[in-house]
Amino acid sequence: MSETDRDADAQADEALISRWLGGDQRAATQIVERHAQALARYAASQGVRDGIEELVQDTFVRAFHAMESFRAESSLRTWLFTILKRLVLDRQRAERRQRNQVELDEGHAVQEFDALDGMVADEAMLRVRQAVARLSPLQREVFTLRVTEGLPYTEIAKVVGSTEGACRVHYHSAMRAVKEFLSDD
Amino acid sequence: MTDCPDGLMRDLLPEYAVGVTGVDDAARVSAHLATCEACRAELALLKQARAGLSLGVPRMDVAAIVSALPAPATASRPLRAAPRWTIGRHVWQFATAAGLVLLVGGGLIWQRDRAAPTALVADTAAVATATEEPVAVTPASAESGISFGGGLSDLSLEDLQALLGQMDSLKTLPSTDPESMTPVIAMNEGGTTP
Repeated sequence: MSETDRDADAQADEALISRWLGGDQRAATQIVERHAQALARYAASQGVRDGIEELVQDTFVRAFHAMESFRAESSLRTWLFTILKRLVLDRQRAERRQRNQVELDEGHAVQEFDALDGMVADEAMLRVRQAVARLSPLQREVFTLRVTEGLPYTEIAKVVGSTEGACRVHYHSAMRAVKEFLSDD
Repeated sequence: MTDCPDGLMRDLLPEYAVGVTGVDDAARVSAHLATCEACRAELALLKQARAGLSLGVPRMDVAAIVSALPAPATASRPLRAAPRWTIGRHVWQFATAAGLVLLVGGGLIWQRDRAAPTALVADTAAVATATEEPVAVTPASAESGISFGGGLSDLSLEDLQALLGQMDSLKTLPSTDPESMTPVIAMNEGGTTP
């Protein structure tokens, strides 16, 4: 997406926000329609399997409560991703406390990621999923945001709390790792 | 799988796969893909990855989400009002405390200042009667540290003598009143002005 297209996209979101703040409830529906599925994909990429709908809903509820504080320094979708990420981390911490478990390690994450393998009909997709599951958490996050959402590195950097350059490196490292995994077949 | 040497083109492929590339970039990528096998393979991989990563993700119920959202008119109020109320409450607490301090402290100072000149006037009146000389009560004398809270009856004989000594020494001090200087100049010896 070119800068002009991104600006147009951002302006569309900002116009919807203004309409909603002005009392137009239909604008909220359009905002949710534009971003809900992307949030669900991102939640899944973070290892969330249960309660994705609830997580996405909580993200929107929080976002709309704080909508006046949105300053458009990032895109609305990036802002929503950061809210959802905090909710995921909160949930993971709460679950760890409840179960008195140690933090999920990479092996555990891979196991969770592979839990859906049985649902994947396409063998090629299965292999790609397995390859992505073996990436480091940061690589996987950057790769997923880039591949599933087409998010620019500047926005990815805001979500993962890194720099644009570092995200570019993570993406290309991840792509190389995926290719190597697939070529080992 | 080999990599295309054109890094810029490879960077555009994810956006092209998602379909968010701008018109100009999309045309450039399409033209490049026609001649680059490595990029075609990478594009196919990206599409597989996107489809694979989207598997198992439930379809979001937009209506259910929207029904849980706050109404526009009330949504921002608690978040905006909360910090204002917090700040306002602190300001009022501070203002109330400051007001109390000023009231109590000011009252005490006013009472002390009110009592001191009265005593001083009483004392100076007594001194004037004894010496048959008028004693000016000036701000300088008021600030000379001889004022006291109690009456003369509270003082011992030594204290009274010390007070009289201090009062005598006050007469030698120049007045801060500019008008009182005029007769001093006029009474110079020889009738000349210095």
